[in-house]
Amino acid sequence: MGKQEYRIQTYCTIRSRSIRVNGNRFFDAEPSTPLGDFLKAAYRELAVDYPKFHKMDGLCKAIFIAAELIARESGPYERHTALLFANRSSSYLSDNRHAHDIFHADNPVASPATFVYTLPNIALGEISIRHQLQSENVFFIFDHYLPEFMVPYTNATLEDSQPNGGSALCGWAEVTEETCDLLLYRIGTSGQLTHSVEQLKRLYNEEDE
Amino acid sequence: MRDDVYIIGDEVISPLGLGSELNFQRLRDGHTAIAPVMDMRLRDHPIHAAQMDGNPWNQLVKNASHYTRLERLFILALQRLIERHDIPLDSETLVILSTTKGNIALLGDPEGTFPEQRANLTAMAEAIRQYFGFENQPIPVSNACISGSLAIAVARRLLRYDNRYKRAIVVGGDELSKFIVSGFDAFQALANEPCRPFDRNRSGLNLGEAVAAVYLSTKPTHGAVKIMGVGSFNDANHISGPSRTGEGLYLSICEATREAGGGMPDFISAHGTATAYNDEMEAIAFHRCSLSAVPLHSLKGYFGHTLGASGLLETVMAIHSLKNNELIRSLGFAHPGTSQPLNIITQPTRRPLNTFLKTASGFGGCNIAMIIQKV
Repeated sequence: MGKQEYRIQTYCTIRSRSIRVNGNRFFDAEPSTPLGDFLKAAYRELAVDYPKFHKMDGLCKAIFIAAELIARESGPYERHTALLFANRSSSYLSDNRHAHDIFHADNPVASPATFVYTLPNIALGEISIRHQLQSENVFFIFDHYLPEFMVPYTNATLEDSQPNGGSALCGWAEVTEETCDLLLYRIGTSGQLTHSVEQLKRLYNEEDE
Repeated sequence: MRDDVYIIGDEVISPLGLGSELNFQRLRDGHTAIAPVMDMRLRDHPIHAAQMDGNPWNQLVKNASHYTRLERLFILALQRLIERHDIPLDSETLVILSTTKGNIALLGDPEGTFPEQRANLTAMAEAIRQYFGFENQPIPVSNACISGSLAIAVARRLLRYDNRYKRAIVVGGDELSKFIVSGFDAFQALANEPCRPFDRNRSGLNLGEAVAAVYLSTKPTHGAVKIMGVGSFNDANHISGPSRTGEGLYLSICEATREAGGGMPDFISAHGTATAYNDEMEAIAFHRCSLSAVPLHSLKGYFGHTLGASGLLETVMAIHSLKNNELIRSLGFAHPGTSQPLNIITQPTRRPLNTFLKTASGFGGCNIAMIIQKV
C-alpha cells in the first residue's frame, strides 16, 4: 500500500491586527487597537451567537476565531479531526492572571473562572465543544514555530488513525497581552497545498513577504 | 507492519521514596504519602496532600543550586534511568517531557529564587537538555492531567512512524505550589481527609507531587512490557467537568482495545481522583465497555493526584504489579459509590497477570486509555 499524501486544505493567520484565511483578508484593525478589543471585534464580524466566547482567555479566543473561519471556508470538521497544537508560552495569559490573584491582589482569592484557563489544552476543549469534535488532542510547547516537528508528527497521527478518517486541525498559537502570532491549518487527503515543512514555513512567513 | 514499542525501563521519585521498586514495595505494604500539610507557602490553612520533605537527594545532582526544585527531581529521575540502562543521548534518542504546570511556582511569587522566565516550559526543557547534553531538545507535552500517559503515546507514535528515532525517554512531573493548591481549592475539589476514590463518601481529591519516567524501545529486553494499544478522545462536552456518559473515555478504551486485538485486561489502573463527577464518569465508561467486573484500583490514595506525573507514575506502578503478579489494593475505598458497579481491589492479591488497562482524564475534556502486556 502506498503512503497516503496529506494536503493542507485551508489555513488562517492572525498576526498584528490582521486576520487572513487562505491569504485573503477577513478582518483588519488599526495596529494600535488593544488585542482584546481586536478579538472581540473579529468575533462580531463572524456574526455567530456563542456567549461562551466572552468567558475565554485571549489564547482560546484567537484559536476559536481561526477554527471558526476554517470551518466556514472548507466545511464542518469531521468528528474525529485530531487537534495538534503548539505554542511557546503555554497558558501564560491566564497563568499570570491567576498568579496575580493569589499573590498580589488586595484581597488574594483564586477565581475558578481564571484557573480553568491555566491549561493550554483548554482551547482544544473549547473548539471540541463548539465543533463537536471527539478526537485526540495534544498540546506541545516549543521555543519557536516548529514545522520540522509538527509535519512528521501530524503525518504519523493521520496514518495511525486511518480507521477514523485521517484529518487534523493543527496550529501554532502564541498569544500574549498585546501580541498574537497564530497559524491554524486543516489537513486532509485533498487540498491545494502540499503538507510539507517548506510549505508551512512559507505560509507562516507569508505576511512578511 | 509498524514496529512494536516496549517499555524496557522505569523510574519513580515520590514522597514514598526514591526508585520504582521501593515505591512499589511501599504500595504493597499499604503506605500512603498523604498526610495533613500545614505549609503557608501553599495555603493559609491545613490541607491533605502528598508532599516531598525537603530535598534529601540534592547531593546527587551536580550544581544543584542552578536548578529549580522540580528540575532537580526531573534530573535525578533521568540520571538514574540513563545510568541504569546505559541510554545513549544521541540524535536517535527522543526525549518527551510531560508536565501540567512545570515551574509555575515561580510565577508571581515575590519570594521566588529564580527569574519568572524559568516558569516557561521551554526554559525548563533547555535546563534539562544542558545538564545531560541531549542531542535532541526535550519536547514538553502539556495536556492537563492526561499529560503523562499522552507523552508515552506521543513517544510511541514517533518511534513507530519516524525513523529518526530508535528509543525514547519519557519523563513527567509536577510539584505542589500555591498556584495549583489555590486553584483546586477554588474549585472546591480538595478533600479535608485522605481521598477515597470510588467510595460513596468520597469528598474530593488530594494533590501530590512526583516525577516518573519510562524508557521506550522498539527492541524488547528481558522483562520488557509491550504497549498494545492506545486511544485518546475528547468528550466535547465541558471544559472543567467530565461527560455524564463518559463518552471520551469510552471511545478511548474502545480504540485501545481494538488496537490491542480485543480481550479483557487482568486489571485496570483507573484515574480515580475521588471527586464525585470523575469517579462516576469512569464507572459509566467502564460499564459501557463491559469492564465492570475487572479488578480495578486508583493509586490516588497513595500518591494523591500528581497531575502531569500521574499517568506515568501509575503506569510504572501497574507495570510492577504485572511483573510481580500482584494486585495493589485501592486505598480509601469502603463502600460502593458509583451508579454502575466496579470491582474495586480491596485486598492485595497474588495471581497471574498479563495485561492491564491504564486510563486518565483531564480538564479540557481529554481522556486516554492504554493497554500494556507482558512480553
